[in-house]
Amino acid sequence: MTDQTKIVSKVLVLDTNTSCLEAIKGFCDSNGLVGLKVQPGNVMAVLRSNLDLGAILLSEMYADNGDCGIQLARKIHTLRSELPIFLRREGIDGLDGIDELDRPLISAAYTVESITKLRAVMDEFIFSRSYPNALLRGITEISIPALESQFKSINVDVEAPYLVRDRLIFGEIFTLIPLESSWCRGYMMLQTEEASLIQLVENGRTFVDPADAHEFRHLNGLLGEITNLIWGAIKNRYLSSVRGETYLSQVPIIVNNSHRYISFGSENPQLCFKYIISDRDDATVRPLVIQQKFIFNLSWSPEDFSENVTSADELVSSGELEFF
Amino acid sequence: MAQILVVDDSSTVRNEVGDFLQKNGFTVAMAIDGRDGLVKLKADPAIKLVVCDVNMPNMDGLTMAEKVRSELNNSTVSIVMLTTENSPVMKERGKAAGIKGWIVKPFKGDAVLPSFKKLVGI
Repeated sequence: MTDQTKIVSKVLVLDTNTSCLEAIKGFCDSNGLVGLKVQPGNVMAVLRSNLDLGAILLSEMYADNGDCGIQLARKIHTLRSELPIFLRREGIDGLDGIDELDRPLISAAYTVESITKLRAVMDEFIFSRSYPNALLRGITEISIPALESQFKSINVDVEAPYLVRDRLIFGEIFTLIPLESSWCRGYMMLQTEEASLIQLVENGRTFVDPADAHEFRHLNGLLGEITNLIWGAIKNRYLSSVRGETYLSQVPIIVNNSHRYISFGSENPQLCFKYIISDRDDATVRPLVIQQKFIFNLSWSPEDFSENVTSADELVSSGELEFF
Repeated sequence: MAQILVVDDSSTVRNEVGDFLQKNGFTVAMAIDGRDGLVKLKADPAIKLVVCDVNMPNMDGLTMAEKVRSELNNSTVSIVMLTTENSPVMKERGKAAGIKGWIVKPFKGDAVLPSFKKLVGI
């Protein structure tokens, strides 16, 4: 079981210098970062795919399809402007020599000798928020039973929570539900792939009739009910009533289907959990991956976080009938 | 003619609860929200028990329960809420509307079957 209170973030490492890669790996290991390497020539394809990234560590000497250093940074920025780029330079610990117009592309520049200074930069761009440990633990404590209640004969695995800055939509189906309380306001989003869900329905692992496996509305409904179960339990446990404010702000949520992109209007990283649901009896079924993202874009005051207290007398187990 | 009306906007829940009840010998009708629930209940006087979600579009379950008593003047049908909600305030509102009980989702059929039989009168 992974530590559900240790948050990590994935960074794309675009660097081929072997000795520098060792230093970068050491930095990542000791700072909650998971470094992902890409073969030159594949960078843009990887960035277009769904990797849940927090940042990019780019070497000024790294070349990809003829683009090198700043040229590559420009292309990356055009494609994924939400991802901060940290540029490793040879001997110049800063942006000296880089055109004024290109400097905004780079969130920070470093040398391998000064790599430790990235710690503060990572805190600014990725680990900018602290999340209550009880909340991090509680989310999976709530979500796993909810998943187990909707799928039969399956195993649920969950990875360590992670932070992403990208806004790509994973899979074909996603749900959104508001989270409103005195200490946070935002959304929970569940995203998944339709093909894997169809397989589990066809295998009779859900309450959807296998004959309806290709009726997308039933798949929507299944993910909707999972969302409802998780949301309800989170609300009961963590979300106290909203402040007595008469005005509660809202911002538009923008979806661009052609880019599989969703924006909540906030630059803050999203808190993510990845659940992997495997058919216990049929190893040929591709595991279903559900990504759960929390976007506290409207308000975030973790200092006011608290669990809702329920007395033992009031406590009735889920699924049991409480008579009035 | 049904004994139990299941009211939930989620087809997954309607399938899950409906299949379980039918396998256990009940006749079941379905409604997709509170408004539909009122229509189905009015049309079928044989219904003895309503199993109803709270959060639904068009008309929520608590409003439906209140209207069962106030608009349909049906004081005999038993209403049980099946919901993710667990707030005392909502339960108080449900009590005031005359509901018989409250189940926090997920649905666990075996845990409620004896009570449902009793409420339906079999």
